[in-house]
Order: sequence, then C-alpha cells, then structure tokens
Amino acid sequence: MKTIITDFNYLAAKTLDEALDLLCKHKDDDYRIIAGGQSLNTAMKHRLLTPEYILDIKGVADLDYVRFDEKEGLKIGALATHRSVELSPVVREKYEVLREMEENVASIETRNWGTLMGDLCNADPAVDPAPPLIALDAEITVSAKGEERTVPAEEFAVDFFETVVQPGEMATEIRVPPLPPNTGVHFMKYSQIHGDYALASASVLITLDAAKEQCVNARIGLGGVGVTPIRAKKAEEVLKGKKITDEVLAEAARVASEETSPISGIEASADYKRELAGTLVRRVGKEALERARRA
Amino acid sequence: MSEYSIIGKPTPNVDGPAKVTGEARYTIDMTLPHMLYGKLLRSPYPHARILSIDTSAAEKLPGVKAVITGKDTPGGKWGLWRRFRELSDQQALATDKVRFIGDPVAAVAATTEEIAERALDLIEVDYEPLPAVFDPIEAIKDDAPMVHEDFPSNINATRHIEWGDVDAAFAKADYIREDRFVLEAAHPCAMEVHNSLASYDKGTGRLTVWTSTGSPYFVQQNLADALKMREGDIRVIKPHVGGHFGGKNSTMPDSVNAAILSMKTGRPVKIVFNRDEEFTTTEHRTAQHMALKLGLKKNGEIVAFEVKAMTNGGAYTGLGATTLYLTGTFITMPYKIPNYRYDGVRTYTNIVWGTSIRGFGSVPGKYCSETQLDRAAKDLGIDPLEIRRINAVAPGYTAPGQYTFESCGIQPCIEKMAVRVKEKWPKIEQDEGIGYCAFAYMTGGIFNWIDTPYAYSSAHIKVNWDGTVDLYSQAADVGQGHNTVAAMICAEELGIGLDDIRLHMGDTAHAYTDLGAWGSRETLMNGNAIKDAAAQVKQKLIDIARMKLGENIAYDFVARDKRVFLELRPERGVSYYDLVKDAIRHNDGVPLTGTGHYTPHNKGMISPAYAMGIMAIKAKVDRETGHVTAQDVLVVHDSGQIINPLGARGQTEGCIHMGLGYGLCEEMPMDQGMLLNPEFVDYKILRTRDMPEIEIMHVPTYEPNGPFGAKEAAEATIAPAAPSLANAIYQACGAEFFSNVLKPEKVLKAIRAKEAQNNATSQAKK
Repeated sequence: MKTIITDFNYLAAKTLDEALDLLCKHKDDDYRIIAGGQSLNTAMKHRLLTPEYILDIKGVADLDYVRFDEKEGLKIGALATHRSVELSPVVREKYEVLREMEENVASIETRNWGTLMGDLCNADPAVDPAPPLIALDAEITVSAKGEERTVPAEEFAVDFFETVVQPGEMATEIRVPPLPPNTGVHFMKYSQIHGDYALASASVLITLDAAKEQCVNARIGLGGVGVTPIRAKKAEEVLKGKKITDEVLAEAARVASEETSPISGIEASADYKRELAGTLVRRVGKEALERARRA
Repeated sequence: MSEYSIIGKPTPNVDGPAKVTGEARYTIDMTLPHMLYGKLLRSPYPHARILSIDTSAAEKLPGVKAVITGKDTPGGKWGLWRRFRELSDQQALATDKVRFIGDPVAAVAATTEEIAERALDLIEVDYEPLPAVFDPIEAIKDDAPMVHEDFPSNINATRHIEWGDVDAAFAKADYIREDRFVLEAAHPCAMEVHNSLASYDKGTGRLTVWTSTGSPYFVQQNLADALKMREGDIRVIKPHVGGHFGGKNSTMPDSVNAAILSMKTGRPVKIVFNRDEEFTTTEHRTAQHMALKLGLKKNGEIVAFEVKAMTNGGAYTGLGATTLYLTGTFITMPYKIPNYRYDGVRTYTNIVWGTSIRGFGSVPGKYCSETQLDRAAKDLGIDPLEIRRINAVAPGYTAPGQYTFESCGIQPCIEKMAVRVKEKWPKIEQDEGIGYCAFAYMTGGIFNWIDTPYAYSSAHIKVNWDGTVDLYSQAADVGQGHNTVAAMICAEELGIGLDDIRLHMGDTAHAYTDLGAWGSRETLMNGNAIKDAAAQVKQKLIDIARMKLGENIAYDFVARDKRVFLELRPERGVSYYDLVKDAIRHNDGVPLTGTGHYTPHNKGMISPAYAMGIMAIKAKVDRETGHVTAQDVLVVHDSGQIINPLGARGQTEGCIHMGLGYGLCEEMPMDQGMLLNPEFVDYKILRTRDMPEIEIMHVPTYEPNGPFGAKEAAEATIAPAAPSLANAIYQACGAEFFSNVLKPEKVLKAIRAKEAQNNATSQAKK
C-alpha cells in the first residue's frame, strides 16, 4: 500500500553478459539488482533504499536452474526461487536439509517470488539458507565482466546487510559439494510464528567414520545471532574426533553459544538468543548424528 | 422435522461468490471520474504546539489541487460519546497542538497518490515540542503534561460499580488473594485499511461518502458534527468491508478530510491509509493496568471481588470510555458475585488511542480474573473446572442494577465440558496442561452515548409482484456474515427462500437507522427489526389467505416452504406467490411493505442477552526455549438458537485466532510514543500453521429477547482464549503470568522463577 515515490532508472538485461556489462558501466552509480524483489521493494517503500538505478535480472536466460551431478554436487542459479529449490526432486533426494529449510521460509507466496540468491545478497543476519549452506560447505560464485571468483558460504556476508559482492559484481551461482558417506545434516530455526524470521537458527553436519563410531568431520552454521550468519568453528572442534554422546553435544552447544554475539530486539534479548542458539545446536546435532548413523 | 426451514441450517455466506471471484466491491476498489487522491501529513512529535505551517511549496507542485491545514476546516469536533459534548474530542486537522505521533496537521489532494505523497514532503511545519506522557499512572500525577487543557489529571472517563457490602464480605472471607496485572495493547489488523471516498456536490451542497466502516450512521452523525452540516445532507454508503474487528467504529480523519478536500476542489477525493498509518494512527485494544482482589470461602465460593482498572486511553476518546465501562461488567461474568466493587479510570495520554476492539471490555479483564481464579483454586485444592461450576450463575441471575441473564446455559456447558475433556484428552503428557476459562458477552449494547434519536435498529421490506423481497437496513455486514443472517431471518419469517431476498444494506439514504456492527448487536437487534418488518407483511398474507380459504378466525396459519397454510391441516393452503399478487391487487397496486424496529427497554444497563460458555485449551510448553504450543481447543458455547451454524463456526474460530494472538504474540511496544513494530514483519500474527484444532459444541438455549431465540456468536469466544492458554501453562509447569503476550523469553523466565521457588521450598523443607 505504501508507494515507492522516489524516481529511479530502470535497466533490464536479457543475458548474463549484458547484465555484467551494465554492472561494469554503472559500477560507480548508486544501483541495486532486482530479481524477486521480496526484500528490495519493501526497503524502497520504506525509503530505506533510494537507488538511482535498478538492474532487473529477472529476464536473464540460463540463471534459473537447480542441477546436480555426482561429481560436482548441487548448483543453484541466481534466479532459482525458494519454491523451486523446495520442490526440486534432486534437493529432496540428496539435500533434504535444504528442503526442510525452505519449508519454513516466509510463506509460499514469498517463496514463489523470492530467489535464494537474492535472500543471501540481502544479507539479513537471520537469513534462513545461510546456516545449512555453511554446514554443507557451499561456495558462491561472484562474477564481474571478464572475471569470476568463488567465496565460501561463511564468508559471503561481511556485515549487517552487507556482502563480499563489490560494485560491478554479481553473485551468480551457489555450489554445494556432494555429501561424503556416513554424513548427516539437519537444520532448525526457532521463531514463535511459523515462517517468521529466526530468533536463532542452527545447522549441523556430522560425518562419522566407517564404523559409524567417531565423528571425523563436523560443520556448524548459525543464523540470527550476530551481524552475519556465522560458522561455529570452536564448537565443531568439540565434536571432531570424538564419539558423540549427549555430554559431548551439550559441550558443543555451550561452546557454540559462546561463539555468538546476538543483538537485543523487541522479540528477544541477546541473552535469550545466545542460549537459544546452544539449545538448537544440541537438538540439531542430535538429529544430524542420527542421520549420519542411518546414512 | 425441525421447527425451522432456514434458521439453524448451515448456510454459505450470501456474499461468498462475489468475494471469492473478486466481484465484490470494497471502498478501496472504488474510483470516480476526476477523482483526486488525498494524503495526510502527520505529526512526528507525541506532543507539540504548532507554531506555523508553510504550504506554499506544496501548493506549487504540479498536480496538487488543494492543500489544507486546521484553519481551512469547518472546525467541528466529533466523537462517539456525543451525549457528553466535551468528549467529542477528535478534529480533522490539529489547530493548536498535536497530541500523538501521527496526529494529522495538513492534508493534500492531488491527481496521483505519488504527487500527493511528494507534496507532503514540501509542507513545512514549525513545532514547539512539549513534554509528553505515555503511561496512565504517570498521566494522573499532578505535574503531568496535560493532553487536553480542559481535562485535569488527564482523566478522560471514570466508572464506579458497586453492589453488596464488599468490605464486610472480605472481612469474613476464608481466603483472599490480590494480584496486579499489566496488559499489552493489540491492533485489530483488518486486511482492508481505513479508507474513504468523498464526493461533494457544490450545486446542492450535499455530500456522499463511501467508507470502510462498521457503522454508516455513526459516520453520518460524526461528519455532520465535524463539517457543521445537517445529517440529512450527508449520505454514507458502506460497500463490502474487508475486516472491522472493532477498529472501524470511530469516524477517522480519512473520511472527514476527504470530505473537506472534495468541498474545496469540487472533485471526488479518496484517502487510503497505508499499513504504517493503519498501525500507528488507527485505534487498537487498550493497554491497561489492573489490580484484582478476590475473596473466597474454603469451598471455593466467591464472596467478594474488587477490581481496579487504569487504561492507557491515548489522545482521544473513541469508544474507549465504553470499553472502560464494560471492563467492570464482563469481568464479573458468568459468576455469582454477591459483593462487588469496580473502579475504572481512563486516562488521556500522548499515544494513538484505544477503543472497542472485538470482545471489548472483556479481553484484558478476563485474562486477569481467570488466571487469578486458577491460582486461588490451586491454593484451596479445588479442581479448576469445579471452581467455575460452583460459582457459575443460573438462569434468571441478576447483578444488582446491572444485568440479568434470561437465557443462560453456563451450567450445562460446564457439565458437557467435564464429560468431553475426559473423552478427548484421557492422558496428559509431560509439560502439557489443560486450562479453562468461563465467559459471557453481550448481544448488543443498551447504552446510548452516541445519542441516537432513532430506534437502535430498523428494517424495511418491500415485497414485489413476483414475490421477490427488497430488504433495506443500515445494518452493517463487515465480514461477520450479517447479510446472510439478515436474509435468513427475513426468509424464515416469510416462509420463503434465500433466493427471494434482495439486500440493500448499509446506506443511510436508502434505509432507516441501525447503529452498526459493534458489541455483537446485529443478529439480535437488526434481526428483531427484520423479523418485525417481515411479520407485518406475513400478517397481510395470512389475512388474504384466510379470506381466500374462508377459514375460521380461530385457526392459526403458518408461512413456510413458499406457502401459507393452516398449522393443523397443512394441505389447506395457498402459494406465497399467488398471495403476494392478490395482496398487491387488493392494495391498489402498492407493493407490500413492512417497517420493523427494535430498541431494548427494561433490560438493565448492558445488554438484552448474553452468550456464554466455557473454553478449554490443551497446551504444551518447551522448558528449554519457552515456546508455548496451543495444541487443541474445546469450546462449549451457549449462543442461543444458532441462526447460521457455518457463520457461527467461522466467527468462533476467528475469535480464537485473535484471542490466541493476544495471548501469545501480538503487542504494540512503544518508545516515547513511537510504535516500534508498525508493519507485519514485526507485528506478529498467528498464521494457519500456528493454529490449533478447534472443536465447538453448542448447548442451545432459547433467548426470549432474540429473533428465533438467537444470541451473539461473534465476540464471546475471544476473551477466553488467552487465559485458557495461560492456565494450561500454569497447570503444565506452574509458571505464572501477570501479563498477556507469552513470548518465549517471558515464558522461559517464568518457568525458571517457578523452578527457583520450588528449589527454595524444598531446601527449606530439608
């Protein structure tokens, strides 16, 4: 109902090259890229953002895909919507955790419009996809005219609503490696209302040895408990090389909550969120362990 | 064969097809040729004197057709407590000072919404900020800033109710407990925001306003006051309304300023609030402080009850003074309370004002009294359902000088609940609990602070040559399904089908007055008026039938299934359609008409009838996160004769949704009068997946004051949801709450406080 009243110049690209050309040309201008528009429109209606240029990439061919191959794993294009990731058969089969995550992203209407990449680029600290992508050791491809680089998921966001993507660049693809054998991964977010922003979220990946006794690798991603999503590396160390018991999980949870630096808000205090992150790590870790044993 | 052919049958909403296909027109959908878009410039200060306003730059912006400030308005004040003129405290645009963040100070009409919004940025207002007050306890202090200069101590309204000998009864009570509560505000969040389209005809000096309201007549009266016009020169039309929930009783600055801008420009003007304006400047459920003192006998019988309420009224009155009044009443229901005292104070403060949100007068109060009752029951070792049964009233109960329950099914409701709970929830798991709350609510208010000179409700029907019926009333369908109820009552009385009825509702020019949809009044009050009008027509048809059949004067006729026939010999009858033709021929070609009306008399201070019942909620608490899950809801409801079971179900489920939101997540945190969550990202509303299963059982009674024995079904079940939930958590883990909004962190703290208390007790025992 609120209207966008500031003028902007509208640019549209049909191919990735065109988009990268336009980005190169407007590198020094105040611009924003629009795909699904689920965050950008709201920010502009509230005049939090008043860009001079809007680059619409919705029509760019070949960026809307969810693909998988055994060697390279899962690839998600910049224009793949949350809903298409959620409904993808290969995601369901190979990366169940991403489907579980998507099911609780906002509402179906929002997931139909919003892209997973757009969500990452908006860089809300409570962004849902970040923790599982961190746990899955995903990488994000960032492209510019004539060049390309990849960034680990945990390094993608650098501050509150800020990413590594520089002027002239665009995030184009998410790559998730194939899961090693004997690996279980799980994600939970907690919000009082279904589909709401997380007060805290956690994703844990556990890989067990061949005997399914000892933890050989662990990765933990947390959301909503800092200025960016974070990887809880110290907590991962607590798990690695051990036979995971309830006591070990509780210790990892304690260490993980110490790694957080949440901000108090109207929904909950920083102390509550810190404790919540630990609780989630313990619960999610237990389920990830079960899954690793069944894998 | 049931007594009725239409009443009591599940009937799809008569507006349903239009609404689901998008054909239904709401005010927000409407445009008129040459229409302008209006916008309001609002105060950024909670309290400030206006030193000057410069509109010259805005006026120069191409596309701007008018810019007005307080001095350009007719200057009339308005309000819903018209009987007390000093409480007519709203005005179109602030003249001397602003009283809350969002108080309008200027209005613009332009050719597009964007231009109107840009023009607002060009208006320069010079303010002198004044000290402000945001809390009722601060507001009544001697040195508090005055929100309205003529209201010392910021006291907007007070209410005292007393019966019996309260002090003597407390002196003899076996058990006394006192509890204090702080209740948070909540917003009604109607999907359709406040909006109005005004069209002034300079030639005739008459004004037409289409608006999203619960009461076209209130808007007509208020516009007459605001614009200093005659009521009869103003026509108010209520198209379909996208949600009311109590937030659309007051006339708001949208309709008044659209009217003034239309007068200035000679063009239709539409003002639509955006969601931010809706949250920050339209009415909400009032935040309040409450203190309760309850005296019981050892066996759990209530002997004395004392209630103090102080409400954070905000900048203006609305129906907030009525809410204060009713808080003192509904908190006593449905219990026998031999000695009772209530003192309520509504204060003016520098925030947006609170009013009559769904279940008004019952929601905060019942939260306090029913959670207190559970604690008392536990202390006395009495089962929570049993303490409610012991104290529940019987039919004919009178609260001295206040109210009488004529139909009253509360005891059978409680008995049915006791049986059903055992069947439904035979086993309660760890961290689960069942909480109860008994409730009762009015079926339309008797009070007349609006000062209507007309009947509370009226209806007119015209029966055409082909048997179709035109039904006219100002009664308001606001989504609650009154159009369906109105058509059903009319059709039942005439013995015809719903497809014979044409509705012409909610237009002040085409129908006699009805006071609108608030306090659950339409089914009973408008229903009685419609039944009265239809009965007049029916009598004419019976007279003709008797004549045609040459029947004995002593024989009774019934109208049913499109026939009028002898009650004891149904084969002797005449077709309704033939009778209508004959009747019109006999009447010199004039269609059959009936004009019915209803105004309650000798029915106490509150309402002619009360719906009531008991709710149970099974809930589970997560001791580590503090998350509360309402798993299952059970309601046993005495709503009299249900007119439309489908509508009643929808209303009950909607009440529980709003009631659980009040108990779990809806809140309006403010900082120095600034709302911190004015959008749906931050204002939390329960979604479909958050809702529990709801089972509704009815204990039908026959209400002598209602049409076909009906009582309300739209509001009673909101109040019990939050206290039932809090009581379920109390039963599950002992955690106690003295405020609504059980956000996880609050729950976790309450659980830990209880655990600490238990540990201390067990330590002491060792």
